[in-house]
Amino acid sequence: MRHRIALVSAFIAVLAVAVWLWAGAADAGAWVNRLLGRQDGTWLAMQERGLWRVGMDPSFPPFNLLDEQGAVVGYDVDLARALATSWGLELEIVPIGYDSLLDALKAGRIDSVVSAVPYDPRGTRDYGFSPPYFEAGVRLAVRAGSPITGVAALPPQALVAVEWGSMGDLVGRRLQREGAAIELAPYATPDEAIAALAEDERISALLLDQVSLRQAQGRGVAVEAVGPALESNPYVIVAPLTATVLRERIATTLADLQAQGVLAELETRWFGPIGDYSR
Amino acid sequence: MERLSGGVRRLRAWMEETRARRWVALAVVGLGVAIGVWVLRPPANYVPLGPQRHVETINPKMGIHTRLTDEVEAWKIKRTLEMVREMGAPWIVEYFPWAYVEQQPGRFSWNHTDLVIDHAERQGLRVIARLGFVPEWARPRNTTPLYLDEERFGDFGRYAAEFVRRYAGRVHHVIIWNEPNLALEWGYAPVDPGKYAEMLRVVTPMIRAANPEVRILAGALAPTLAPPGSPDGMNDLLYLQALYDLGAADYFDILAVHAYGWVADPDEPAHPEAVNFRRTELLRAIMVANGDAHKPVMITEGGWNDHPRWTRAVRPGARIDYTVRAYAIALEEWPWMEAVCLWAFRYPWDTKNYQDYFTFVRTDFEPKPIYEEVQRYSRGELAGEVQP
Repeated sequence: MRHRIALVSAFIAVLAVAVWLWAGAADAGAWVNRLLGRQDGTWLAMQERGLWRVGMDPSFPPFNLLDEQGAVVGYDVDLARALATSWGLELEIVPIGYDSLLDALKAGRIDSVVSAVPYDPRGTRDYGFSPPYFEAGVRLAVRAGSPITGVAALPPQALVAVEWGSMGDLVGRRLQREGAAIELAPYATPDEAIAALAEDERISALLLDQVSLRQAQGRGVAVEAVGPALESNPYVIVAPLTATVLRERIATTLADLQAQGVLAELETRWFGPIGDYSR
Repeated sequence: MERLSGGVRRLRAWMEETRARRWVALAVVGLGVAIGVWVLRPPANYVPLGPQRHVETINPKMGIHTRLTDEVEAWKIKRTLEMVREMGAPWIVEYFPWAYVEQQPGRFSWNHTDLVIDHAERQGLRVIARLGFVPEWARPRNTTPLYLDEERFGDFGRYAAEFVRRYAGRVHHVIIWNEPNLALEWGYAPVDPGKYAEMLRVVTPMIRAANPEVRILAGALAPTLAPPGSPDGMNDLLYLQALYDLGAADYFDILAVHAYGWVADPDEPAHPEAVNFRRTELLRAIMVANGDAHKPVMITEGGWNDHPRWTRAVRPGARIDYTVRAYAIALEEWPWMEAVCLWAFRYPWDTKNYQDYFTFVRTDFEPKPIYEEVQRYSRGELAGEVQP
C-alpha cells in the first residue's frame, strides 16, 4: 500500500512538472536550462562586457527621438536605462532603422530591442517578447467629467470623432457593424479629432490610439480614456528566444518597475501629467 | 485414432484456408473502399465556387494586387476575391511562382493556381498573372529564386507557355518578371537591361506560340532614382529607354508600371528627379518617343502607405484621398491606361512592419476604412470631395 502511494505521488509530481513546462511557465525555460547546466549566452556576454546593447529607432517620439545634441532620448531610453541599472550594467543604445531592428537582433548585433515594438504572435517563433510595458491600442475617450463610462454608455446616435482612415475609424466602423448606434465624425488628423471633442459639444466621444491621446492629455487637453482598449496594441521588449535568463530578468524587473511606480513616472515624464478628473 | 487425427488436421487446414480466404476477401473489399473514397474524394481544400458573379463599378480600370501565393486555405482565397469584387475592382494582379508550379523539370502542379484562377473567374475578375521565381533545379547553387541564367530562359519560357496554354481563354495577361531594374529582384546580379531584353526575346515567342491571344506585359520596373553605377538598381526611366535601344519593343504588348506615390499626392507633377504617381507619365512619354504610343500601360503595383512611423507614409485619410484620386486620374486623364492595380489587397499574415499599412483588408478580412471608401467610390457614392 505504501509502495502504491509512493508511486502515485511520484506520478503526480512528474505530471505537475510536465504541465508546468508545457504551460510555458514564465521562467520554465531558464529553470530547465539551469537544471541541465545550459547557459544563456546573451546574458553571459552582457555580464562580460558590463553592457546591455539595445537597438532603437529614434524616430517615434516620445518613445525614441533625437535631442538637440543628436543623442537618443525618450521613454524607451529611460526604461532601458532603469532595467540596465537594476542589473548593474551600462546601457549602450544602437540606433537602427525600425524595419531592421529585429534582423539586427537575429544577427547578434544587439542584445535586445526597446523601441515601441508591438507584440507579434507570429514573431514568438523567432523572438522572445516581454510582458507589455505600454498599451498603445485604440481607446474610447471622453471630455473630462463626462458621465460616459464606455461604449455601452454612449447615448443613441452619439457623434464619435475619429481620424479618418485610422485604427480608431476602423474600430468605430466595426462598432457600427456590431450594432452600436453611433455616428462617426471623421477628421483629417488626430489633433483635429481631439480638438473637436474638447471644443464641440455635439461630439460625445473620440476613438484614438493611446499614444496620440496621451500626448494630448500631456498638453493639458481635458480628455480621458474610458473602458479597456478596444483594439489592443501592446509595446514589448524583444530579446533572442534563446536568452532565457535575460528574458526572465526583463519580465521580473518590468514587474518591479511597475510596482514601484517607475513606469507611471516615465509616462508622466515623457507624455506630461494627466489632470485629476476624479472619476 | 489415426483416422480421427487426420480428420482433425483436414478440418483445421480447411478452417485456416477459409480464414485466410476471409482475410483476403476482407482486404480486397477494404482496398476497394479505400480506392473508391480516394477517387470520389472532393479536391483538397474544396470550397464551392458559387454562382457566376460580375463586378459592378463606375471605373472599369480599378484593380488591386492580391497576395494569394502563400494563402493555403481555399475559403480565404475565395473570400479575398469576393471582397475584391465587392470593392468594385475588376482587375487583379496575382503572382504565380514558377518554383511552386514546376518543382521538378517538366512536372507541373497546378492545384493552387487552378484554385485561384477558378475563384477569380467565378467572381468576374480579370487576372493579370505575374510570372517569375526560379525553382532550385533551374539555377546555380547559392543563388536566390530571383536569379536566372540566360541558358535557362528557355526553361522559364516553357513554364510561361504551359501557363498560358492551360489558362487559354481565361487569363489574357501575363507579366514577365518583376522589377528587373533592382539588384534584389535580379538575384543580386548586376542589373542588366540587355539580359532582360534577351529574356523577353526568348520567352515572348514561346508564350505567343502557346497562346496567341495572350497579351504580354514587360517592365514592371521599380521607380527609383538610383544614381548611375549604383549596385542597388538602375533608374527606371533609363532602364526603359535602354530596353527600347536594345530592340525589346517587339517582345511586349503592354508596359507594366509600378506607380508608388510615397509622400506625394497623385497630382504632384511628374519630374525625372521625383518618385511619385505621375512618374507613370514619364514612362509613357518614353514609349511614345520610341514609337510605342499604340500600346497601353497597366499599373501592376503602386499606391500609398499609412504606417505611423515609416518615412514614406502619409496619414490614413490622405491615403484614402490619394488612392481614390489615382483611380480617377486613370479613368479621366489617361486614355492609354488599361488598369490600375495597387499594392496590396490583403496579406495572409501580419508582417508587423510598414508593409501591413499598404493593405486594404486586414488578415482576418476586416475591411479597413480605405476599403470601404474605395468601395463607395466604385459605387459612385463619393461626389466631388473625398476628404472629410
